[in-house]
Amino acid sequence: MIALRDVRKSYHTRLGSREVLRGVDCAFRPGEQVGILGRNGAGKSTLLRLIAGVERPSSGRVERGMSVSWPLGFAGAMHYSISGADNARFIARIYGKPLRATLEFVEDFAELGEYFGMPVRTYSSGMMMRLGFALSLAVDFDCYLVDEVVAVGDTRFGERCRQALAERRERSALLLVSHQAATVRALCTSAAILDGGRLTRYDDLDQAIAVYEAG
Amino acid sequence: MTRTGHAALLPALRVQLRVVGALTLRELGTRFGRDNLGYLWLFAEPALLGGALGLVHHLSGHALPGGLDAGTFWVIGYIPYYLLRGVLNRGPSAIAANQSLLYHRHVTLLDIMLARDLLEGAATAGALFCFVLFFGLVAGEWPREPAKIVVGMLLMLGFAHGVAMLLATGSVYTEVFDRVTHLFTYLSLPVTGAFFMVFWLPTELQRAVLWVPTVHVFELVRDGQYGTRVPTHHDVGYVLGWVAALNLLGMAGLRRARRDLAL
Repeated sequence: MIALRDVRKSYHTRLGSREVLRGVDCAFRPGEQVGILGRNGAGKSTLLRLIAGVERPSSGRVERGMSVSWPLGFAGAMHYSISGADNARFIARIYGKPLRATLEFVEDFAELGEYFGMPVRTYSSGMMMRLGFALSLAVDFDCYLVDEVVAVGDTRFGERCRQALAERRERSALLLVSHQAATVRALCTSAAILDGGRLTRYDDLDQAIAVYEAG
Repeated sequence: MTRTGHAALLPALRVQLRVVGALTLRELGTRFGRDNLGYLWLFAEPALLGGALGLVHHLSGHALPGGLDAGTFWVIGYIPYYLLRGVLNRGPSAIAANQSLLYHRHVTLLDIMLARDLLEGAATAGALFCFVLFFGLVAGEWPREPAKIVVGMLLMLGFAHGVAMLLATGSVYTEVFDRVTHLFTYLSLPVTGAFFMVFWLPTELQRAVLWVPTVHVFELVRDGQYGTRVPTHHDVGYVLGWVAALNLLGMAGLRRARRDLAL
């Protein structure tokens, strides 16, 4: 289980301190697929980064009772000056996974062709996303945090990701943030709305989407 | 970071070792990879400096005080300084260069600093070893007490690592460190003790320079190289005090910086 207890987060900006999350309380259980809906700037990515442990809350606590992925999106988690293959080796080492199996899985899933041996900084954003997703699937987390981009488009890769996530439904939890109700409907079984720095959970997916679209 | 009980200390240590190992390997690839001349410079710079200054001494006919061989003096003195400078100069950019790796919860700022600085230490030690061997084989200038050289290098690494952690902490809050560190390491060269020996100085000045911890380190390394052929002044306990204090402060700083770091 993942539990957030009165989580607050503010950032210092030139215009002074800005509170993005104002007391988020909620819990996510193993096997749940939760879509977190929110408008641009609602603090969705911040919430994911706090759940992932990439950033620390200004106050409150995040409890992780299962292994949680890093936030899957365009940025982060990789080293850009080394190749995709070297990144796979690095990930295998820090998470204690077998080197060869990890390399093979990532090479196969990410479908980067000869780019697999080139520095990540030469990749297109789509290639980076594929690599990031493949790396995280290779580690095999209990809970995947997805920052909407993976669901983008009707590409073949998008379809494979959806499939990979669906296969894990039995054992893995999924937290997906998005500003699009359609994405959440396609991948999640329940939803929550992030608005005004607070998170409201709905057990009923349709109800959540209705509230979100009315808002 | 999740807080766990003491029971989890050993697994946690194992994770940290794994992470530092992985970071070191990755750093090895980017720093000394096939495409750049990192390895070469490590040897070329002290060799060029030692060779040039040795030549100047030879041509001018001036011997060093105490009749020391100029080549070994400059090279053996320069390498610990090279370590100090390498670690310090790379301190302010350490976090920015590895920021994306902090997406992995296991990876801490301390791991990043340890990996970089241990690698720098190992590379410099390798260079020093080769030069010592060279001077021994070619000029018959074998170190009298090699253990003292090793201790000296370790102390230098510990000292530099502590300062580098503080610089890295500072770099999270301001760009100033990134701008002034290079300047500072060059300007401080004369007082670090790399290119003079304490016994060359008048008594008053000796007392003053012995406040500088790195002066003790260079003296210790020279003690290891020359033994009793020249008088040396060093207090390992004094340097250890500095190393401990700087490392504690540095680690506390990194902890704080990690909380304030926005990725």
